[in-house]
Amino acid sequence: MASSTGFPYKLTFGLALTIVIDTVVQLAWRIAAQDLPETPSWDVVGVVLGQPLFLLVVMLMLCQLFNWLQVLGQADLSFAQPFTSLSRITVSLASVYFLHERLAPEQIAGIVMVCAGAWCISQTARNTARNETPSP
Amino acid sequence: MTPTAIGILLVILSSLIEGFGELFLKKSRLQRQRQIFWVLSGVSVFVVQMSVYTAALRFLAVGAAFAMSSLSFVFVALLSKWLLREEVTPIKWLGIALIMTGTSLIGGFA
Repeated sequence: MASSTGFPYKLTFGLALTIVIDTVVQLAWRIAAQDLPETPSWDVVGVVLGQPLFLLVVMLMLCQLFNWLQVLGQADLSFAQPFTSLSRITVSLASVYFLHERLAPEQIAGIVMVCAGAWCISQTARNTARNETPSP
Repeated sequence: MTPTAIGILLVILSSLIEGFGELFLKKSRLQRQRQIFWVLSGVSVFVVQMSVYTAALRFLAVGAAFAMSSLSFVFVALLSKWLLREEVTPIKWLGIALIMTGTSLIGGFA
């Protein structure tokens, strides 16, 4: 059970789930998009509706919204949102594993920098002490 | 105005809109009595953001647009500081700068 002073298990789980869902959505989207016609037309709508992967994407996006609202209930926006960048790492790594894409050395340097940035933010307070309600 | 400049402006606009979408979702957690209003506003704003980003892709390569879209981290931090009165410390800015550079590298060389 998380407390205000202890390790934020619930927040950590929520952020991890955000990254996992985002990764699955991105991969499913990429795979499903391969079957779309190259020229934009109304046929695209039919193809999209007939693709189970697109429906999976929509369902996952709804789950993501619910989960993200839970995360925002526990941390500052400026604390939580930068952690979503970690999904760009997991998408890149998953693309290497599942889609047999390659990582350039610059991308590996980028992964290291994102990790370093996330670490910096993890060292800051996850909630601003509030004495007053922010203006609407 | 060149097509590239239009694309860049659209990505910047898309990142700014994304910042407002995130802000509205956070508002839904701060003002529980208007929760549904803020959630619907946030989701609507994200739909607009996706449209603007898609329009930007007509003028820019995906890698460049993806790299530039990391500007949203800066907009979210600025909007959180100004409109939500959140504390954005120098180490948080350092983290955001590292993340922006890192995501730009990941997306720019994809």
